[in-house]
Amino acid sequence: MFKSMQISASGMTVQRLRMDVIAQNVANMNTTRTADGGPYRRRLVAVQENIESIPFSQHLARSRDAFRGKGVKATAIVEDPTPFKRVYDPGHPDADEEGYVLMPNVDTLKEMVDMISATRSYEANVTAFNAAKSMAVKGLEIGRR
Amino acid sequence: MINRIFSKTHILEKALDATWKRNEAISHNIANVDTPGYKTKKVVFEEELAKALSRSEFHGKKTRDKHISIGSVSVDDISPEIVEIDSTKLRVDENNVDIDAEMTALATNTIRHHALVQKLNGEIQRLKTIINEGRR
Repeated sequence: MFKSMQISASGMTVQRLRMDVIAQNVANMNTTRTADGGPYRRRLVAVQENIESIPFSQHLARSRDAFRGKGVKATAIVEDPTPFKRVYDPGHPDADEEGYVLMPNVDTLKEMVDMISATRSYEANVTAFNAAKSMAVKGLEIGRR
Repeated sequence: MINRIFSKTHILEKALDATWKRNEAISHNIANVDTPGYKTKKVVFEEELAKALSRSEFHGKKTRDKHISIGSVSVDDISPEIVEIDSTKLRVDENNVDIDAEMTALATNTIRHHALVQKLNGEIQRLKTIINEGRR
């Protein structure tokens, strides 16, 4: 009964993590120095369906009840491998001999689009959560005068 | 006798279980709206229930629990089943969750649940009235 709410909560967690990573990307739009050396690399969240694992001995017994979904999970935060932008700016402290600076591969436009997508998905999960809640509350009315 | 009194509430109970199962499936679909390669899950129940309710007269009588049902199935034997819709493709990443369809299904399912609860309450109220011989 509370499984629906947990599923929606997992969706909200993932969307919030996406939002955090997007904020990190936007904040580091102009970062040319990182701990690893070189400019900042855009990061992305890899998501995967979360399926409840059942022991082998129970496979046959539970085959009829085929739904084992537990929502969604973030598996990793991966770096975007696209090349850095090369900008001519001789005054920049990190410019090379020819006056070029490697800038992060963060595209503001992409980040904004991702942000809207994450917000909307979060809202969809909230709606699903509220639906489950209203069903649970309604269920309490059974048999009441 | 007592079984027959609750036969109607029993069907409603089954349908309520199905709405919960469907709510889980829809929540799962919505949570996985951005998961690459994910395929929509759907709960099939009402068609089976309708079939079981309109079953023909011909069916084998079960004298033991382990007997296999012959002829049409009874209401006790059906349960909500989950099917994966993997024939469609909505995006490049092979994900086929149609968020508009899911939100619609979610709203429909919630209303269906509320309606069933209301019907169940009515049924219980009716039984109470009968037990009290019509007195309040």
